[in-house]
Amino acid sequence: MDRAELIARLTPIIATYAQDKDAVASINENTDFIKDLKINSANLVDVVLDVEEEFDIEIDNVSMERMLNVSAAMEIIEDKLKSK
Amino acid sequence: MIGNDIVDLVQAAIDSNWKRKGYLDKIFNTEEQFMITSGIHPSMIIWLLWSMKESAYKIYSREAKLREFAPLKLQCSNLIIHNDTATGNVSYENELYHTASFFDENYIHTIASTKLEELEKVEIKITDRALFDYKKTKPASVSHHGAYLALVYL
Repeated sequence: MDRAELIARLTPIIATYAQDKDAVASINENTDFIKDLKINSANLVDVVLDVEEEFDIEIDNVSMERMLNVSAAMEIIEDKLKSK
Repeated sequence: MIGNDIVDLVQAAIDSNWKRKGYLDKIFNTEEQFMITSGIHPSMIIWLLWSMKESAYKIYSREAKLREFAPLKLQCSNLIIHNDTATGNVSYENELYHTASFFDENYIHTIASTKLEELEKVEIKITDRALFDYKKTKPASVSHHGAYLALVYL
C-alpha cells in the first residue's frame, strides 16, 4: 500500500472524531490529533480501534502511546502490515 | 503542581461507546475493570477513573514536557467513593498522585497532586463554558469538556 492510499483510508477515521472540521480539510502527515484536529482524548481509543478494524492489524500498547499524529499513525500501520 | 480534569457526562455518553469491543481493554487494567463491572453504575466509574488518569497525566506531561497516550500506564488504586466525592491514587512512571473528585448527574471533576495537602488548599471554579477571558485570572490548571469549564487556583 502506498502512502497516498494509506492516508486516504486513514482520513475518514480521524475525521469522524475531529472536532475541528476545518482542520480535517488540510490533513497531512504533520497533523496532530489533539492539537490540530481537537480530537477528544477519550476518542483516541476509538481511532486506534477503528484503525485496527480498517487495516486488520493489532496495535499494541507501546505503539498506541505514540499514536498522537498522522505520521506516527502511518508508521505504526505500515509497520504492523509488514509484520502480518 | 496541580492537575484537573472535567468530564461532561452527557457529552461523554454521546461521544464514547465504552461498550465497544476492545475499548475498556485499551484504557483500564484488570483491577480497574473489576471496579467498573462490579458496581451498579459502570459508566460513572469509567469516567471517574478516566478523570483520575487524565488529571495525573496533565501534571506529568507538563513537568516532563512529554506527550503520550498511555492510559494503561496510569494506574488507579485506593479508590474510595462517598456520596458525591471520591479519593484515590494514580501511579505513573514511578510517581504517585493523590486525587480528589466530585460528581453529580451532570459531570465528574477530579484534581490531582503529588502533595495530598495541596488538594485541600485549592479553589475550584466550575462554570458553563462561557466566553470569558479566564486566562487573566491565572488558573493553575484548566480543563474543558462539553458544556463545562473547570478552573483550579492555588
